Parts: sequence; structure tokens; C-alpha cells
Amino acid sequence: MITIAIAKGRMQESALSLLARAGIRLSGDAVNSRRLALMDETGQYRFIFAKPADVPVYVEHGIADCGVVGRDVLLESQADLLLPLDLGIARCRIVVAAVDAHAMTKVQGMIRVATKYSQIASAHFGARGIPVEIIQLSGSVELAPALGLADMIVDLVETGVTLRENGLTVVEEIAESTGRLVVNRASYQLKAGEVSRLVNALQSVL
Amino acid sequence: MSSRIPAGMRYYIGDEARLRRKVEDVAMSVFQGWDYEEVITPSVDYYDLFEQGMGEREAQRGFRFTDNDGRLLALRPDVTSSVARMAATLLSDRPRPLRFCYAAPVFRQQTQSHAEWRRENTQLGCELIGINGKSADLEVLRLAAEILSRLELQSSYCITINNVEIFNGVAADLNLEPRAREELRRLIDTRQGAELQQFLRDCGAGEARAFLRPTQLTGKLEVIQAARSVITNTRSVAALDSLEALWTAIESHGLQDAFEIDLGDVSSLDYYTGLSLKIFVHGAGSSVGRGGRYDGLTGSFGRAEPAVGFVLNLDALTEVLGRRGAAGQ
Repeated sequence: MITIAIAKGRMQESALSLLARAGIRLSGDAVNSRRLALMDETGQYRFIFAKPADVPVYVEHGIADCGVVGRDVLLESQADLLLPLDLGIARCRIVVAAVDAHAMTKVQGMIRVATKYSQIASAHFGARGIPVEIIQLSGSVELAPALGLADMIVDLVETGVTLRENGLTVVEEIAESTGRLVVNRASYQLKAGEVSRLVNALQSVL
Repeated sequence: MSSRIPAGMRYYIGDEARLRRKVEDVAMSVFQGWDYEEVITPSVDYYDLFEQGMGEREAQRGFRFTDNDGRLLALRPDVTSSVARMAATLLSDRPRPLRFCYAAPVFRQQTQSHAEWRRENTQLGCELIGINGKSADLEVLRLAAEILSRLELQSSYCITINNVEIFNGVAADLNLEPRAREELRRLIDTRQGAELQQFLRDCGAGEARAFLRPTQLTGKLEVIQAARSVITNTRSVAALDSLEALWTAIESHGLQDAFEIDLGDVSSLDYYTGLSLKIFVHGAGSSVGRGGRYDGLTGSFGRAEPAVGFVLNLDALTEVLGRRGAAGQ
């Protein structure tokens, strides 16, 4: 048996439907229950549902053998994991946004950046030698520039509607993010057969 | 007086301390059974030593402080550097081969993996210095396997082996600039199959297709056969030959079930010069040991000679065995 950690929220539904197409199904009752650990119909796979940022933690510690989680979360966590498949689900972009579309050309001295992604933001600006003050928020990041808390934000954008409604425009794209299959380094060796069955099953429906 | 203890440090009390001692005793008695002499190296040494021995990136993880004369010291982040210096200097006149073993704590600050939270780890290790080739490589692999089975971990451990010259030959043939070489290494190390394929399309590297398979799985002899069908450069072919010869020797000792060939293990290319190995045990989320051949190391202390060795992480092993014991009771 192998354990798969699935990121709850926007990833969950598309991950489960992709797995179902690969022949790995949860019963309908199970999906609708509030239990956080479930077996699939064949008993070969156990699913656990965790907050996105916790998925790399479970997998890196080997509590889950595999996980499905967005690239944004992986870039932020810097976890030491294997990344055999890009599942192409829950596609979105990690961007820098500001009120003024030309904000980057007007940077002087230093900028204040509000974000949930402090690692990604400091790596992005750090690589170009721009000093930043990172203001770590845990949600509704789009509010920060309007209220004067920050000059810019680094956030995930799917459609761009939320940005526009808060008077922000995309200044730069940092990276594209999609759902990835991640695998624990020890499980990859010790459960090689089971892991490769899962990888092959998913690959065949991508 | 604060009641806190620093991150990555811990106590062992009673049963756990006894189990830890037992694991150490088992490993040291196996080493001594193979005529490995125990060595105790200084806990504190010049930072230079570790920079030379481990490479700058790894050495920087050491805890550093200054000596009275201002020279930089470090709390040892590994034992191998010190043993290599000793072999090349203090023991340069001793007849070869030299066989040394140790059980010694090492100290490292930021760890690569969040799962490896400890900053103090005791290494159970051995070094075989002064002989080259298959028999030396096989000796340390058999030693590792013997320790793990004496710890009653039979059929729940796996030792992966590779030869770093396979990758080096392919990379040299491609004439990659350092950044592209590192990118290729990273894609193989993290098994990013699709991205690796894209990389191959962009640089037209037919031989690197050999690494597509390990991005899907590791295996036995068939991994080498698959690699041979695409790799033709002499450096990599020589490495495949020696890996195959080693595998045959492993089979002749009936150890093939415990070993896997993993051409995708390219995590320490700058350090190892031939064989590289990693040790995994059910119940531990990351490797509990690693090693390989490092023929370049003693040369940096003035006497170049072949050397091979490995370390097991005593703390990680104790944790796995402790949890098993608790589950079994």
C-alpha cells in the first residue's frame, strides 16, 4: 500500500478526477465524508487530505509516499523531493502585481512586498539585487497596496479578476504553476514497484 | 537559566540510550571483524580541512568559530576529511591498504532536507584507503549489508549503487557550460522526466536518454543494459563496465535482493569519483547512510591514492529500530 497526500482546495477536485481516469477511485460516500484519511476501492492506495503547504512536509518525512501539490507550494517550501510528473492541473501563474503597470522601472532604494510566498518573493528580487522588505500575510494579499501596507504583491493568479477588482495589474510573471506529483526519496527506492505503477498509470492519462 | 535546548539537538535516556549503544556496538564489531582499526579524530579542526575535504558548499554547514590566532576553526561536520589527511601525512609510511572505522558525532547547521532536522548526528563509518577496483568497492558494500542484517533489518533495507563517471562522461561529451551541467544534474536528481526530455530536445543529447529510465524507476542489471543501448562515449562505457562487474560480484554473494542500480543518484558528483551508494531503510523518510569512492581526496593532502568508504547515521537508525521495537511489543 502507498499513501498519497492530496492538497485540499483548488487542487483536490482535479487531482481526484485525474486519479479516477487512471483507475484509482474513491467511493462517492468516502469523498463526501469528512474523514481526512481514506482508502481507494482496491485497498492499494490510502489518501490523506492536507493543507497545500503541509503536503511537502508529509511527503518529505515519508509519512506519505507521494503527493499532489502545486509548484507554487513546492517553490516556497524548498522541500527535498522527487518530481517525476507535471500533472498539468490547476494551472495558474505566480506574479508580481502593483497599481502602476510600470512600477518596476520606478523602483528606488527598496520596495515593500506583501505576499504569502516570502521565499519565492525574496529569491525573485534578490536575484536581481533589488532590496525588498517582505511583509508576510496569510490571505487577501490584494488589499495591501490599496491600504498602503506594501508597494507590490507577489501572489498566485488564475484569471486575474481579483487583481483587477482591487486596482492591480501584473507587472512581472515569476513562474507558471501546475499540480505536480511528488515522491519521497526513500519510498522511490523501497516501494519502487508500487511507485512506478502509480507514475505509469498517471502518465498514461495525461 | 533558560530551559530551552538548541534546535536540532536532543537527549537519549534509558531504553533509547541503550538501544543506540547497541546499534553502535553491532556496527563497530562488524567493522572490527573485517580488520578495520578504530580511529578517533579531533572534534575541532581547521575549517580549511573541511573545505578541502567536503567542498565549500558542504563545509559551510559546519559550526564555525575562531582560534586564538584568528584562524577559522570548525566543529567537525564530517570525519572522512580528517582520516584522509591522517592517511596522507601522519601515516604516509604505513603499508597499504589502510582500514579505519569510527563512531563519532558530526555537527551541521542548515540541513538539506527539512526531514533531517538533527544538527548533531553520530556517523558509523569506515574508510578503505590504498586499494582500487572492484574488490575494495565490494568489501565496503558487503560490510554495509552485514551491519544492516545484524541489526535485523534484512528485507527492509535497500542499498542503491551508481558510478558517477557515467554522468560525468555524458556531460563531458556534451561540452555543457557549468550552469547547464548543473541543470541536467538537477533534473536527473529530482527525476523530472518531461523536463529532462525537453532539455534533451534543446541540446540534442542522445546519450542523456540513458537517464530517462532512472527518472521512472531503478532496478537490477537491466538498468545497465538499457544504458548501454544509448551510451557510447568511452568514459561512461568504462564506468558501466565497472558497475556491471561490481553487480556480478554482488550477485555471486547472493546479495542482489538488497541492492538496486540507480543511475539517477547524481547528488554528490563533485565529491565521489567512481562508485556512489545510498542506504534506505523502511520507516525512515530519507537515506540513513551514504558513501562511495573518493580517489581525489587524499591527493589534496599531498598523497593521491584510491579510497572508498561509507557512513551510517546512528541516530536515524536508532529512531527506526526504536519505533519498530515499540510496534512489536
